[in-house]
Amino acid sequence: MQTIALTDQKTDRPPPRKPPGRVRRLWARMCTPEFYSPACFLLVFFIAWEIAGRRIDPLLFAPPSRVAEAFVDLAASGELVTATLTTLNALLAGFGLAVLIGLPFGVLLGQGSVFGRVLEPYINAVYATPRVVIVPLVIIWFGVDYSGRVFLVWLGSVIPVIINTAYGVRNARPDLLEVARSFQTPRHQLIRHVLLPGALPYIAAGLRIAAGRAVIGVLVAEIFLQNTGLGGVIQTNAAFFRTAPMLAAVMLVGLIGTLFISSVNVLEKRVAGWKTAGRAE
Amino acid sequence: MRSERFSPRAALGRAAPHLAFAVVFFGAWELYGRSDDAQLPAVSAVATAMADMTADGSLPSALGSSMQLLVIGFLSAAVAGFVGGVLLGRYRPLDRTLMPFLSALYAVPTVALVPLVLVWLGFGLSGRVTVVFLSCYFPIMMNVYAGVRDTPPELIEVSRSFLVRSEFGLLRTVVIPAAVPFIMSGLRLGIGLGVVGMAVAEVYLRLGGIGALIAAYGATFRLDYLFAAIIPLPLLGLLLTKLFTLIERRADAWRAG
Repeated sequence: MQTIALTDQKTDRPPPRKPPGRVRRLWARMCTPEFYSPACFLLVFFIAWEIAGRRIDPLLFAPPSRVAEAFVDLAASGELVTATLTTLNALLAGFGLAVLIGLPFGVLLGQGSVFGRVLEPYINAVYATPRVVIVPLVIIWFGVDYSGRVFLVWLGSVIPVIINTAYGVRNARPDLLEVARSFQTPRHQLIRHVLLPGALPYIAAGLRIAAGRAVIGVLVAEIFLQNTGLGGVIQTNAAFFRTAPMLAAVMLVGLIGTLFISSVNVLEKRVAGWKTAGRAE
Repeated sequence: MRSERFSPRAALGRAAPHLAFAVVFFGAWELYGRSDDAQLPAVSAVATAMADMTADGSLPSALGSSMQLLVIGFLSAAVAGFVGGVLLGRYRPLDRTLMPFLSALYAVPTVALVPLVLVWLGFGLSGRVTVVFLSCYFPIMMNVYAGVRDTPPELIEVSRSFLVRSEFGLLRTVVIPAAVPFIMSGLRLGIGLGVVGMAVAEVYLRLGGIGALIAAYGATFRLDYLFAAIIPLPLLGLLLTKLFTLIERRADAWRAG
């Protein structure tokens, strides 16, 4: 009887509508306030900026049309591409080294040894030091060249990797640890199959923080240490009060930072997907 | 956690590895610093430099002027971040309209904005305060926003049924108390970043404050004085963050009890 009632209900339903076309779907999406209110604001904002920018002294302010012009000029001269590559080079090298060194060090610190507890205050002190103020030290230790810039990026991003890896390893599930111990699992297998997978969500969060700090680090290095890359473009143009190319570079920096951090996010979702599916807690 | 009675012996047992490590660490540093081609000043030299700078008043007065910058920038960011976060968290249309742009601006590192801000606002106090303000504003605003937006709806419903009609009354009695943990962690993040912003603004300008000391001693490579000028900054950052953690726990105590 129940099955009959169910089938009856099904036949009563109106036939499914045709799936809307691509144009219509796009239009439906554009009609939600999530889309049109920021879009309208953006339009009003740009118009107001353009009007204001044309009235204010060009030494101090630039309308969007001139920023776009400056962007095209910088791109055409090849300066922008070179600067972006320089910035990305130091950014990726520093971040990569931070992951390579931070992960093993974090695992080491997280395994409940006295070592970890003893080192913690020193790590925190380094973490709390603004990187701008150690630039003079970096000059003495590494010079103002590529290695100095990579060091500044590395120093900013290695600590969140260490701290989060250690935290994740320390909070490994005790039941899994017990099982592993009762099977007398060798240490490297314990790390490979229990500690690291369990710590993945924490590591991923650490990598995200590290990515943000790496972007800041590369800018600090390029503005304060060696005048090069996108930070150098910002700094040089600021020194000559050329606002338009400076704003163009600032926007590109924001874009690169956002892309870099969101690519780490995508990686996190990929890697940690299985974890959230079968989480014990 | 700390339910067991305090015993000096156990405390000494806990502190022993820390003490031992500190002795080895600073001892090695001192020995290395005294060697001829050292790239680090010896600990004793840093201490002497610090005592010297304290005695001639340059360190305290620099610290004072830096603190002034930090306090003005942080307080204005706290007020503006609170108001902005509440407005964006409570009013959906405003949230929809502005949030995409605010998140984009949040993603731009403050360092990249420093040359811009200082060109626009000049090298006086207002430009430097704005750098500190920008460093603290976003974490505070974003946290207040998240806390206010995610007020449990059942709390709002209950208070409505108890005749809390006005928006202001609702904010005061329900929304803001429920957001206290978020607000406090925003302030804690904000003060830490404020110290960084203060250092950035001062080192960039080389005018007054700790930043000017660091820039001056860095340019002349007087490492012992440089270290003595750097050390107060992380201490200040850690101390202020710790202070806000304590306040956070205090402010949140009613939840547990």
